[in-house]
Amino acid sequence: MAMDVMGNIVYPTVGLLGLYAFVSLASLVWEGIDRKLVARMQRRIGPPILQPLYDFFKLASKETIIPSTANYMFKAAPVLALATAIALLAYTPMGFAPILASKGDVIVFIYLLTLISFFKIVGAISSGNPYAKIGAAREATVMVSREPAMMLAIFAIMWRIGKLGVPKPFSMGVFYVHNIWEIGTPMSFVGAVILLYVFTVWLASEIEVGFFNIPDAEEEIAEGLLVEYSGRYLALLKLTNAMKAFISASLVVAIFFPWGISGYFNLTGLSANVADLLFHTLKVFALLFVVQSVFRAVTGRLKITQAVDFLWKNVFLASLVGSLLIAMEVIM
Amino acid sequence: MTEKVEYWVKMPFGPIHPGLEEPEKFILTLDGERIVDVDVKLGYNLRGIQWIALRRNYIQIMYLAERMCGICSFSHNHTYTRAVEEAGGIEVPERAEYIRVIIGELERIHSHLLNLGVLAHDIGYDTLLHLTWLAREKVMDTLEAVSGNRVNYSMVTIGGVRRDIDEKKRRIILDMIKYYREVFPQIEEAFLHDPTIEARFRDTAVISKRVALEQGAVGPTGRGSGIRDDARWSERLGVYPDLGIKPVMPQDVTGERPRGDVFDRMAVRIGELWESLELIERALDGMPDGKIKAFPKDNVLYAKLRLMVDGEGIGRYEAPRGELVHYVRGKKGSDKPLRWKPREPTFPNLFAVAKGVIGDQVADFVVAVASIDPCLSCTDRVAVVQDGKRKILTEKDLLKASIKKTREINPDIKGDPTPVGSSCSR
Repeated sequence: MAMDVMGNIVYPTVGLLGLYAFVSLASLVWEGIDRKLVARMQRRIGPPILQPLYDFFKLASKETIIPSTANYMFKAAPVLALATAIALLAYTPMGFAPILASKGDVIVFIYLLTLISFFKIVGAISSGNPYAKIGAAREATVMVSREPAMMLAIFAIMWRIGKLGVPKPFSMGVFYVHNIWEIGTPMSFVGAVILLYVFTVWLASEIEVGFFNIPDAEEEIAEGLLVEYSGRYLALLKLTNAMKAFISASLVVAIFFPWGISGYFNLTGLSANVADLLFHTLKVFALLFVVQSVFRAVTGRLKITQAVDFLWKNVFLASLVGSLLIAMEVIM
Repeated sequence: MTEKVEYWVKMPFGPIHPGLEEPEKFILTLDGERIVDVDVKLGYNLRGIQWIALRRNYIQIMYLAERMCGICSFSHNHTYTRAVEEAGGIEVPERAEYIRVIIGELERIHSHLLNLGVLAHDIGYDTLLHLTWLAREKVMDTLEAVSGNRVNYSMVTIGGVRRDIDEKKRRIILDMIKYYREVFPQIEEAFLHDPTIEARFRDTAVISKRVALEQGAVGPTGRGSGIRDDARWSERLGVYPDLGIKPVMPQDVTGERPRGDVFDRMAVRIGELWESLELIERALDGMPDGKIKAFPKDNVLYAKLRLMVDGEGIGRYEAPRGELVHYVRGKKGSDKPLRWKPREPTFPNLFAVAKGVIGDQVADFVVAVASIDPCLSCTDRVAVVQDGKRKILTEKDLLKASIKKTREINPDIKGDPTPVGSSCSR
């Protein structure tokens, strides 16, 4: 009985807290690296790598201004968004199976990921600012356009991997049992490459960079969703955004590049997890370098209609084709 | 429920907005993301330049005209000078005209590069902004080497120019031309053939030729809509005809019919960058020797202007943003003009683009405004008439009014509102 308490409650809680501390630090550091790299690409010097951390602490200590038109959701939304991001960590593959991995937890993952955007929208609408409302409308539009492609692809992949034989189907842990490249047929390889493209675009639209920097368009609608936020709440939202980028990238890394390094060094237990987590973080940074830094350095922002067109006519179609190619030999 | 209900929202855009470089206000009527109507509100950048000018003489106004705007400082000074020269019948030495061409075209290069960067920034394409402005540094450095200043060049004086372009400065300018012959193809490639730029700028804020004519659009805005007009060409200004000036039209750059969209306006600017380089080269080659000023000293000029300026003069010049007109009226025996009135190209262009952007999306608005390269510090010029009485507010009145307003917004505010030090005495 005592073992159960330790195994079911204490270890997951400690693990989650550890992950939270690590991910919030790593994601803010990544943001600093990203800003530095983009600055170098633009022939600028750029801020120090720890600048997002400094910003976070500075913002947390600043005065918070609440608009007189705002209601209570304006204050609640950033807290709820961050809480959702922390809860999401328990279901995110981080080089090892998620802490609370169970059958069908992929649905919880998608649900929580979308919930973050939802809380941001609710907070923006509650501020009473017209720019924030335009930003919220744009965020909602992009959200319903980007998620179907991702959901279709991830369910197809999980179903197909489940056919290879895994203990917990439709769990985030399956990627560490079998991965997408192990399906083996040439068709599925082509399908996997197409789905990699789908997930790359989805990741870019999830973290809103380059083409998809539409809801937060600074020059058009003055930072859109964030326009009325200041001080502590802005700090919370910035941290949530950074963590969301890390978590979304973790999903793509887990699907397409799940290999760990602990096996090569014969590590077991906690040290294996730590080694895999660090290696996973490196892979996330490499992926985000391509999807975030390079992408936002070589593109501008699209109009909302163009982005929606692109996400449905291009990305969703690619997702459909890729899923069919992966599932083909099982269906036929 | 067959009746269609429309939810129109009025939204202020400005006066302070991250997408606008200067304070200007637009009231957008929106149907979702679609712009239904645009109301332009001017007057947020009023500094009472004409009122100040009433208290200055001809020579002092040159400095004032130069400081109306940071980007077209040469254009204002030059056009004002031309107006006074016309009113006084003053002959300008030919070498001075060539030097004016060179400085004017250098200014055009720096202004156009600035605007291209701003356009890229407005669609979130910051790499292009930083690289374009990096290229702009070269022309700024050249201007500094030639005139001594990066922004307010003070090169022009009534009846000529202040500084000569000697062999050393000539070499610096030729150096710059060599640099830009390498850089401009890259800029052209980035702006004319980038898919993001094409997607955002094509068919955005279309100003048809008819609207452009109705609203009197000038400069790259008018030429982008297909109006073949360039004050340097149509007025046969100074020595420009000898240098082979011709207006740059969008079809010269893109090879397509002008559509009057943001892309065409941008293409005209890119074409003008090349033309300016060629004009500078030809001016440097064809520059004759001789005097650079009609009157060697300012005190002589001051005395002569008192006697010579009688009647009115109009100066016209193609500033980077379009045709600039200065009107000067003087009286014999007075060292001050009776009337000095500049008319800026932004004023008609702003209303043309406000018409053109109707039907587009909110996202297009900031791009549309940037595409005419607005210069509000030049444009804002009003006389406040309240209850039928004209009123001129002095610095003290404005300070009092703003303190009152601050107290109204926040009664608990601490701090002493009296200004530190002595303010400018007028």
